[in-house]
Formats: sequence, C-alpha cells, structure tokens
Amino acid sequence: MKLLDVDGLSKSFGGVAALRHVQGHSVLGETLGMIGPNGSGKTTFVNIVSGHVRPDAGTLTFGGIDISGKTPHELASIGLCRTYQSVRVFASLSTKQNIDYARLLLNHRGLNQAELSELLEWLQLDTLLDKSAGSLTLFEQRRLELLMRLVLKPQLIMLDEPVGGLAVTEVIEMINLLKQLKARCSIFVIEHTMRVIKELADRVIVLIAGEKVADGPPLEILQNKRVVDEYLGAPHA
Amino acid sequence: MKSHSKHLVWALTLLALTLPFAASGNKFFAFVLGMTFISLLWATGMNLMYGYVGLMPLMFAGVAGVAGYAMVHFTRTLGWSFWLAMPVASLLAAVVGVALGLPSLRLKGFYFTLCSLVIQTVLTLAFIFFPTYTNGDTGINQVAPPDWFGGELKGMGLDMSVAIFAVAGVLFCAWLVKTPLGQRFVAIREDDVLAEGLGIQVVRCKIIAFFIVSVYAGIGGCFYAVYVGFISPRAFDVLVSMNIWLYVAFGGRATIAGPIIGTAILAPIPFLLQDLQAFKDILSGVLIIVVTLLMPGGIYGAYLAWRSSQSRADSSSNSDKVQEQRV
Repeated sequence: MKLLDVDGLSKSFGGVAALRHVQGHSVLGETLGMIGPNGSGKTTFVNIVSGHVRPDAGTLTFGGIDISGKTPHELASIGLCRTYQSVRVFASLSTKQNIDYARLLLNHRGLNQAELSELLEWLQLDTLLDKSAGSLTLFEQRRLELLMRLVLKPQLIMLDEPVGGLAVTEVIEMINLLKQLKARCSIFVIEHTMRVIKELADRVIVLIAGEKVADGPPLEILQNKRVVDEYLGAPHA
Repeated sequence: MKSHSKHLVWALTLLALTLPFAASGNKFFAFVLGMTFISLLWATGMNLMYGYVGLMPLMFAGVAGVAGYAMVHFTRTLGWSFWLAMPVASLLAAVVGVALGLPSLRLKGFYFTLCSLVIQTVLTLAFIFFPTYTNGDTGINQVAPPDWFGGELKGMGLDMSVAIFAVAGVLFCAWLVKTPLGQRFVAIREDDVLAEGLGIQVVRCKIIAFFIVSVYAGIGGCFYAVYVGFISPRAFDVLVSMNIWLYVAFGGRATIAGPIIGTAILAPIPFLLQDLQAFKDILSGVLIIVVTLLMPGGIYGAYLAWRSSQSRADSSSNSDKVQEQRV
C-alpha cells in the first residue's frame, strides 16, 4: 500500500528550478532514502511534503488523502512529521518541557505514561529530563527531536540528515536506533552518509539538479553509473 | 514549595486590596496608587504578549484608546451604564486589535514590532482626525466616574474597583500561562516553525493572544478614562505603549512577578517626582540603563537566575529552577 505518493512535483525559487517534475512514492512500513549532491532539491522536497513550502505544480497524497495545501500542523495531526537539517528544539526550556509541548497536540491523550517511559528509556533521555535542551549534546538533541515526533504517534517521519554533525561512534549508535525505529513507523531519510543509506533504506531515490535520476534498492543505486559519476565519485557498494 | 507560593499569592492579593484603604487618607497617594494599578493591568497584558508569545505590540496603547473613546461614547451619547459600556468597549477594542493584528501575523521579532508601530501611528492619527468621537487633539474632559446604584463611584470605591481589576488581571494571566494554551504561546515564542511542525496552530494561537491582550488593553483604557477624567490622543500614543513595555522588561518578562515589580517601581516615579521635572527623567533613564545592562532578564529574572545558581551550588544534582519558574 502506498503511503506517500508524489507526482509531477515542481518548484522554482526565482529563476532557479529546485525540483522538476519529481515523481515518487513510499510504501507503508518502508524506509525510503533520498540522496543527491548539495542543492539538488532534497530539503525542498521535504519542505514541500511537510507543508512548509508550497509547490508550483504537482500532486501529493498521504495515506490516500490529498495533502496539497495542508499546513504543517494539519499534517502533524494526521501522522506526517519531520525533523530539520539543523537540529531544532526549544533550547531555553527543559527536556521535559520540550516533550510536554510536543504532546500538546494530542492534549496528553495520545500517549500514556508507560509508553512515554518506554520511549524515554529507549532513547536514553530519562536521566536528562531536567536539563535545558540547549545544554544537551547534539546527539542528545537529535534523540530528543526523535522522541518529540514519536509522541505524536506518526505514520511517517521524515528525517533530514539525522546523523549530520555526529561523531563516528554516535553515527553507529544512531543507525542502530533508526533500525529499531523502523518497527515503529515508516521513515523517509535524507543522508549524505552512505553507510546510513546502505544499512537502513529499503529503497533509494536519487535527485540531481532537481530531477529524479534513479529509484531502486540501495546496492543497485550505489552502482548506477550516472549516480557514481555525478554524485558519489567512486564506487561505494 | 507549591503551597508556600500559594500562600504568597493570597498574601499579595490581600495586600493589594488593602492598599486603597491605606491610601484613602491622602488623595494624591490614592491617585498614584490607582494609576499604578491601571498600569499593572496593562503591563500584565503586555507581558502575556511580549513575555509569553514573544511579540512586542507597540499598538497596545492605541487599542486601549479605542476602548476608552468607545466607552465615553457609549456612556455619554448613548447613555449606557459604565458597567455595560466597559466590557462592550473592551470587546470592540479586542476585535479592532485582532483585525489590525491580522496583517502582522506572519511577522515576528523586529518586523512585527515595526508593523505594530505603524498600526499605533495610524490609530493615533485616527484619534486626531475623527473628532466626532474623540474631539480631536483637544480631547474629552470631565469624563464622568462610573455609575454605582444611582450614585457615582468615586474616591475609595473607584480605587478599589481598579485594584480588583488589576489583581484579577494578574491572577487570570497566572492561570492562563499554565494551561495548554499558555504552553502553546511559549512554544511559539521559542520557535514558531518547530511549534507548527509539532501540530500547534500558530496563527490561531496568535489571534487568540491578540484578542486576550486587547481585552487587557481595553479594560485598562476604560478605567484610565474614568479615573483621570480626561482623554486625548496623547494619553494613548506610542510613548505609553513603550512605557508599559518597559515595566515588563524592567521587572522581568515571562514571569508573573516581573511586571508587578516593574510597575511598582517605575509607574509612580513621574507622579512622585513631579517637582523635579528634569531629575525624574534622568532617574528613570539611569534606572532602566542599569537594569538592562546588569540584569537582561529584568529584576525578577535576575533574582531567579541567582536563586538557581544558589541551589545548584547547594546540590549539584538539583535541576535548573529557572526552567520551572520562567517558562
């Protein structure tokens, strides 16, 4: 069953085309990766799907519902949420307050205390509740971001470079967490770290200069001649 | 801790309501006290917007003026009772406040402030150039005191009602910021893009905030009119907005105690030092500079920061108390 379905998506900023007639879909339960050089339109794609930016043309459906023109808060309430390339938390508030605020949407009804405790333990945030979110390490903030999405009980989480800026050991830990996340919801992930894509993605879409040039299983994509020539530079698989 | 602060709230409420009795012997002090209570009501509304939603509405005084003029029109021309005219005029001001706020909803930070400054200027000009309701630059004098069971509410009765409204305003604000709506306000202040992404209806929350804050401004404007007995465009110009904002920033924004402290210190200065015309401006100027340089979070904000550093020194595992208080 198709979860997210996008067709003919185009967006220009001024005279620059960020996306040209992009078509693609993700399946329920699948982890879909998106790779491509800087400026190829990956973040624009997420911005459009999550309702932050309006496309010039194209259709968007999520779980069979037409979501074009929906605002981010409407999408969050139907189970589509995202994280940001540069980590975004309420920095001057405590970790606990951050989580409370994320729970406001469901008015604390969505998640019971046991479920929340389980999430806190899983993401190892249970000891950090009283610390201010701004004082957490980047990896802790990334985990908090993840938890703030999970309390919304999402169907699809869109991750924009989830391991960006993390140390090598943290990248490995994050990949393990994301592997476990796959059991909880569908994932869409943008990454430059091919290790993440190889270990997580069931399927990968490649964007180059706003156009989709390839779509398939990661191992196949990483050997695709055009992808190697124009993005990866050397064989990765 | 919890019941301790509850006792403190009741003690302060009682104190505030006994002040009019204490000052009733001296007309001048009673007047200064009344003006301070009106300023407190305004500062609390301003704090809700500036401290909790994170927007600095410079059209605050203009909205208060709309209510003040409307109230005078209702009582004088239409013969309404003050106690009907005041809420209706305040609601009218709230509708005007929301309508004028709509274009600035997508703005934040400095750009919002700039837009609200323009709106304030337009309102001031409207007060001057539509003399049918406002009597233009001359203003309206001899605004009658509120009616009270056939007579007039003057002296201590009026002082008391001003105090009651100010205290009620503070208590309402203290309650509101603890509700989910108040938490949404803080989320918007901290990061509106993230708040929207987490399912908070940012625009709707801002409109609600505009409405509530405008009601604060409006009630204050109505009481100002009957309390001073004279209103003119100058009574509701941008300097008034900035003064109210100053009470909040000076005392400590995004705290309940902050505006109380700021208003109690700054609002009486112009009256008490009336004879020292030049000195009073220098004094308040120096006070403001010292406080903003030494205590960017205001007086109460600095106190909270000091207390949390104390408690951290006491037990390193203790949580950050500022987080708890200054949301």
